[in-house]
Amino acid sequence: MTHDSPPRPSGDAARIALIACAVAALGMLLFPLATLGRGFSADAVLLHVTGSVMNLTSNQQAPLPPTGTVLGLAWATLAALIVTLLGAWQRQRWFWLTGLLTFGLATAAVIVLGGALDDQTRRVLADTTLRPGAKRQLGNFYASGGMNLGLFLPALAGLIAAGAGLSALPRVWQAFNRMRSLLVPIAAIGLAVLVGAIVVLIVQPSINQSGAPMGLWSAWLAKSDLVYFVYSTLFAPITSLNPLLDSLKIATPLIFTGLSVAFAFRTGLFNIGAPGQLTMGAIAAMLVGVYGPASLGYGLLALSVLAAAAGGALWGAIPGLLKARFGSSEVINTIMLNYIASSVLVFLIGSDSFPFLGREYPQPLKAEGSNPQSELLHSEAQLRPLLEVLNVGQNGQVALSIGLLVALIAFVVVRLLVRKNRSLIALAAAVVLGALTWRIGIPVTVTGSQLNGAFLIALLCAAGFGLLMWRTAAGYALRAVGLSPKAAEYGGISVAKNTILAMTIAGMFAGLAGTHYVNGGALDEYRLKQNMPVNVGFDGIAVALMGQSTPAGVVASSILFGTIDTGSVSVTTKLAKVNSDIVTVLKALIVLFIAAGGFLSRRLTSPPPPALVTAAERHETPAAVDTTTSLTPQPNVGQASEDITRDGKN
Amino acid sequence: MEALIAQIFTTAFLATFIRSVVPLLLTALGGLFSERSGVVNIALEGLIIFGALAAAVSTQLLTPSLGQVAPWAGWLIGMLVGGLIAWIHAVLSIKYRADQVISGTAINLLATGVPAVVLTALYGVSNESPKVEHALPLWGVGELRFSPPVYFAFLAVAITWYVMYRTPYGLRLRATGEQPGAAASMGVNVRRMRYSAVILSGVLAGTAGTFLSIGNLDSYVRNISAGAGFIALAALIFGQWKPLGVLGATLLFGLLQALSIVLGGTNLLPSTLVQALPYLITILALIFTGRSRAPKALGRSYDS
Repeated sequence: MTHDSPPRPSGDAARIALIACAVAALGMLLFPLATLGRGFSADAVLLHVTGSVMNLTSNQQAPLPPTGTVLGLAWATLAALIVTLLGAWQRQRWFWLTGLLTFGLATAAVIVLGGALDDQTRRVLADTTLRPGAKRQLGNFYASGGMNLGLFLPALAGLIAAGAGLSALPRVWQAFNRMRSLLVPIAAIGLAVLVGAIVVLIVQPSINQSGAPMGLWSAWLAKSDLVYFVYSTLFAPITSLNPLLDSLKIATPLIFTGLSVAFAFRTGLFNIGAPGQLTMGAIAAMLVGVYGPASLGYGLLALSVLAAAAGGALWGAIPGLLKARFGSSEVINTIMLNYIASSVLVFLIGSDSFPFLGREYPQPLKAEGSNPQSELLHSEAQLRPLLEVLNVGQNGQVALSIGLLVALIAFVVVRLLVRKNRSLIALAAAVVLGALTWRIGIPVTVTGSQLNGAFLIALLCAAGFGLLMWRTAAGYALRAVGLSPKAAEYGGISVAKNTILAMTIAGMFAGLAGTHYVNGGALDEYRLKQNMPVNVGFDGIAVALMGQSTPAGVVASSILFGTIDTGSVSVTTKLAKVNSDIVTVLKALIVLFIAAGGFLSRRLTSPPPPALVTAAERHETPAAVDTTTSLTPQPNVGQASEDITRDGKN
Repeated sequence: MEALIAQIFTTAFLATFIRSVVPLLLTALGGLFSERSGVVNIALEGLIIFGALAAAVSTQLLTPSLGQVAPWAGWLIGMLVGGLIAWIHAVLSIKYRADQVISGTAINLLATGVPAVVLTALYGVSNESPKVEHALPLWGVGELRFSPPVYFAFLAVAITWYVMYRTPYGLRLRATGEQPGAAASMGVNVRRMRYSAVILSGVLAGTAGTFLSIGNLDSYVRNISAGAGFIALAALIFGQWKPLGVLGATLLFGLLQALSIVLGGTNLLPSTLVQALPYLITILALIFTGRSRAPKALGRSYDS
């Protein structure tokens, strides 16, 4: 037509849209469309796109919502999906439009279905003949229904196709290009989800409470529904406030350890020592918190937090020093220090006495009683739950202060509006507005969440990470060492000094995770306990990799991990063979696939410079590509380690 | 004091000592192959766990049909599974040029989750497998009765030495780890050498796992390896990537582990601190050896 119609999408984009649409179209036929109701043990009433309803629940009499409109919308979705598929096949200019249409139709179907289920829930509530127990059960039955893979896949494919089609526009293409570093994590998550789905399919037998025999087809539908059930339950905590707060609580230590590993990554070091650093940080925080002077007031809390940082920093500095001075690998040393730290922890609070050269000495740090734990912290050293801190409501009402939220929005808005000194002005505006609106609260209904002040410390650490790494000379030196130790050395940057510094700061981040467990009372009490889950130190590796070693990425992936950790609890209670271990496997798979670059071709993850591209294939890619390399360069850890070792040894 | 020494150094102690050495030795020999070919194998810990799990579960499942032969089949399967998982590490680090430490860490993370999933799926419990009816037989006299992997481990030192220094394969392997480019120009298939070496390391670590689950105990329990893979890695460095050096280093670390087991029962030293001793010694040992004698191409992917 005219020049303002969008140019044709690139071959890669069309191919991606094509694959997504084909998978979704197949999925609509192979998977159940929607769940019309779900009993406690994940037994479901499934609706297929053909209109057939399969009731696998023990409650065979439950009236089902009308499905005519949903089915009509689903068929329309399928049609739009096929049109999009053909458009993508032909690399048409318009397929972004049908992609959006597909997404819209699928969403409409989901909304209609949700409305029908809500009607049922309301009917149950109004029914006076039902006992309260049965009422709640039936209410939950309809509330747990909703879309299934048959609607989820086309909605997703529609979005992908729309994005792929729109990427023909230079502006959208640039926006996508800026997010190119997300490609590998997203592909890794996708692959991990796929492998996890296969595991669920193999491991968990299909759930049939109806007593009726199942054919091959219905068994398949029931099984595929399980996969959707597991994942929707894992990600469910985002949707309501209480589980969301729980997720943030679980995410808090992950942010610390993730930052720790990420910081070391940036300097070309691999810190597997976060568990040990966390342990030492927790021990130090406990020592100050229990045995420090209570007369200091909140100074004791500050001192205890500092002690946690110092404890972790010390435990991180040791391998850094050993590497810089003797060239011994930080990988092995941090692992060994993990074991030593765990021994120290058990030694200090594991038993009432210890033998030494034939005599028994009392162990004063362990609290009285049979539990391996320390004494209770002074109340001055305790980080209160955030709900308590943010609660400005009077006379027993819970009302959360909007101050933090206002401050955050103010910061972002002002930072976008102002040109000069924008961070500084934005910070000032955030502080002022936050303080002004602190007394204004919105009433909420939450039951006591243990999300504590350590979460804010974690966010501060993330901000500090960013400032130090990208706004200071020291950060420049650290990054230079990470990207190329030899070049850094040549440029007058001491590799040895920066190795020690990097490991110390990395250890400090991990050590601060101790504040979450000890000061924040995340172990159910404000004390150090032997069952502290030090494995979050290893999860930090996954978090750092998924967050591409950027502070924002670490926070985001920590929250994602916190969410699926929280969600896994409900999966465990409902399914016999699938439990929270599946989440551990998912995390491991994510690391595995990120290590393999998501199995994506290099052409996608780090494309050649635009000049070369345009010269090579004039018709393919728009010339507006401005990113020459991946925006977050990943230091080659193995390589860098080797080089630093040599230098340290010389 | 002499009474104490007599109390510690008994035949039973010797047996504990040998049992402590075997998993370290097997794993370290496995690591030797992998690292001499230039692939860092931090996954050893996970490989032990996978081997132990596969051996215990398959023995338990095969007992009804195979009877007494089941543990031998279990050993074979433990080796195969170890090799298979190591193959994943090989694919990632050789074909996809992943960072070898990260790839290995991924395998280790996998080993913390997969056993629980498998055990839950098969038996409904996530912590341990049911006891096997027939574990590997014990050969020997008196208190010194060991399962076959123990004898295999010491035999493996000799075999490894012979393969490493007296066969063309060993020569090519060492060349691959030192100068892959030079080896390739002499007609050595660098990738194939590395694949074989990494898979071999998985087979040996799988054997170590088999020993732990059905050669020493009679079931798989959570955390059965207890860091043996990492200590083996340290022993490998301490032994300077040489078969006899590895034997010496694992004997030392095994001795420390056995001492910590025995001392735990006495009132000489706090047992928790004695348990930390091997790790402390490892750090000290690393100070003196470092990575100076590591194969030159260790940790570098090879782009042909």
